Amino acid sequence: MFSVLIDQFWSLTIAGIALGFIYVLISLGYTMVYGVLRMINFANSEIFMWGTFGTVITSRDIFHYTQTSEPAKGAKLVLVLVSSLVMSMLVAGLTAIFVEFVAYRRLRMKGTNRLATLISAIGISIALQEIMRLLTHSRPVGAPRILEKIILTEIWGANIRLDTVITIIAAALIFFVLERFIKLSRMGKAIRAVSMNEDAAKLMGVNLNRVITTTFLVGGLATGAAGFFYITVFEYTKFNIGFTMGMAAFTAAVLGGIGNIRGAFFGGLSLGLLEVYASAVLGTQWKAVTVFIVLVLVLLFKPNGLFGEAVQTTRA
Amino acid sequence: MNKKIKSSLAVVSAAALAFGIASVPTASAAAKTFTIGYQGPLSGGEASTGIDEQNAVKYAIKLFEAKNPGFKIKLVSIDDQGDPAVAGTVAPGIASNKSVLGVVGPAYSGATIASLPYYKSVNMALISPSATRVSLTDPTSPDFGGPIFHRVVGKDDLQGPALAKYATAGVSAAKVFVFDDQSAYAVPLRGFVEAGLKKVSGATLVGGDSVPNTTTDFSPTIAKIKTSGATVVIYTGYYSQAAVFIKQLRDSGSKAVFAGGDGVFNQEFPKLAGAAAEGSKVTGVGGLAGVDKKMEADFVKKMGVSSGVYSVESFDAANILLAGIKAGKTTREKMLAFVNAYSGKSISGNTIKFDKNGDISYGLFAGFTTKNGVLVNTGIVK
Repeated sequence: MFSVLIDQFWSLTIAGIALGFIYVLISLGYTMVYGVLRMINFANSEIFMWGTFGTVITSRDIFHYTQTSEPAKGAKLVLVLVSSLVMSMLVAGLTAIFVEFVAYRRLRMKGTNRLATLISAIGISIALQEIMRLLTHSRPVGAPRILEKIILTEIWGANIRLDTVITIIAAALIFFVLERFIKLSRMGKAIRAVSMNEDAAKLMGVNLNRVITTTFLVGGLATGAAGFFYITVFEYTKFNIGFTMGMAAFTAAVLGGIGNIRGAFFGGLSLGLLEVYASAVLGTQWKAVTVFIVLVLVLLFKPNGLFGEAVQTTRA
Repeated sequence: MNKKIKSSLAVVSAAALAFGIASVPTASAAAKTFTIGYQGPLSGGEASTGIDEQNAVKYAIKLFEAKNPGFKIKLVSIDDQGDPAVAGTVAPGIASNKSVLGVVGPAYSGATIASLPYYKSVNMALISPSATRVSLTDPTSPDFGGPIFHRVVGKDDLQGPALAKYATAGVSAAKVFVFDDQSAYAVPLRGFVEAGLKKVSGATLVGGDSVPNTTTDFSPTIAKIKTSGATVVIYTGYYSQAAVFIKQLRDSGSKAVFAGGDGVFNQEFPKLAGAAAEGSKVTGVGGLAGVDKKMEADFVKKMGVSSGVYSVESFDAANILLAGIKAGKTTREKMLAFVNAYSGKSISGNTIKFDKNGDISYGLFAGFTTKNGVLVNTGIVK
């Protein structure tokens, strides 16, 4: 039973960390919005899905790579990768702002209760998914291979591949930049202020609408970056991939303590590792079961998640 | 728009939705017109299968009309998108269309189960070219389609052994790893593959897994494959997941033979997987070219496209209904009795005769291998 885990431990660990970082970035989309609005952004899964298409469109339609073309090299490689990343972040960021305008802002202005925005968020997420389904004729979309998956080195029997290394380093970097932005920038401080006390922040002259839009934008950018890494590693997307990934990332956010940025980080990583270890030891059919048993156990002893102090205290 | 007009329009369009295909043939003076139906996916992600089948049915009708000038055949097609939920809403329309004497289809097993109650209540003869789920012809199962359901395609208990044989062909002392996508199609098929492996000399089953069909990260499964030392990997599931998986398997450095069942049999598979798909083996049910090259050429001439998946089966199924019409079975009851007692030749040369549960005695599963990005027919797996 454990022979697979022992035999392939490092391969699994590296795969789990790469997957974990993708979760980290998506769960930022949930956690940021929750931190500020105290509401779950149900459309975040579809924002992620739209983000994956940003990369596909850049490599396939702008740079004209096909399934059979050679992977890019040198400066061209960097150019294509960076513009794909930027495009995915842009697409997802704009989609997030659109979601905020359509599903949240108007209802918030009218002073409706929270459940109304919950439903409108679910509504727009269905709309986003259906639009993509119609645009892609319900078909899966393969992404051309831009980055050759070279095996860099072998450590303890595990192949260290270029795409996983790039994913881990770049995702960590993006996470770090966003975290600093929230911590140090003027806008970040405003976001934290609104998160602590909306009314007081308003009285101090914080522009509430701008703060909320920025929150959605930052969450969207992180989620879009996740879309880019997802395509780089898996080279595949479909109109319905958002649900599974969104569910996992949401679980990660709750595991780490929703509303808490550091929580999203550790929640995402532990979920990624937990998933691959559980699949290897018990069989993939037990993956979801194991994840949710662990989630229930954690919530039993730490009801606010692993890092679940109130958002305000950690951010202050 | 006036509210009254609006609502009456709504009623009309609702009726058109329900009976849109129900345009009763106007009695024409010269030739007598008869109607048969086709049910399958004509839009959505599975549309290519349904369109290929429908073309084969249309081709059969063309040949029949050319041979029998006294008959005109009208084809009523309904689109169930291969989805049980949709099938349940469109099947009542065709069932209530009194002119339809019999149906080629439904194409998919799940859609068949959802449609059966409507057809059973009107004694409509069904001949499916592609619904392979075993339970459809198992009288002890609640899905049992008798006495109206028939199929001219081999069940999964015939496909499983064929897939086991084809996957391990040319691999000596094959160590086989089999995994499924947890769907109602894939789990039983995996069982039949594993049973079939026991009859392949030298092959041993070294491991397995069951992976949700929404999975994109296959690293745990690949870890298991590597630990098991498998030389052949068989996946029972669908082409889109297979494409994601095979890329990751090749990227991990594994050179094991990859094989899949008819769920993977789709030209989109090599397109999605690119170079990683080269050499992959798939069992499926192919075009007319596999059984009769001359007929394929004629098909291309008449239909403007080459024949696709399940075209042999769809052609055979349509011919059974057309033979019934020629024999004067012009009510549904007579047609059903005719089909139940039918005995005739398939264009593949086999004898079509349904047993009391609606099954035929043979299954034609062809082997396909990916070469230069295309699945190439290598002939029927024997």
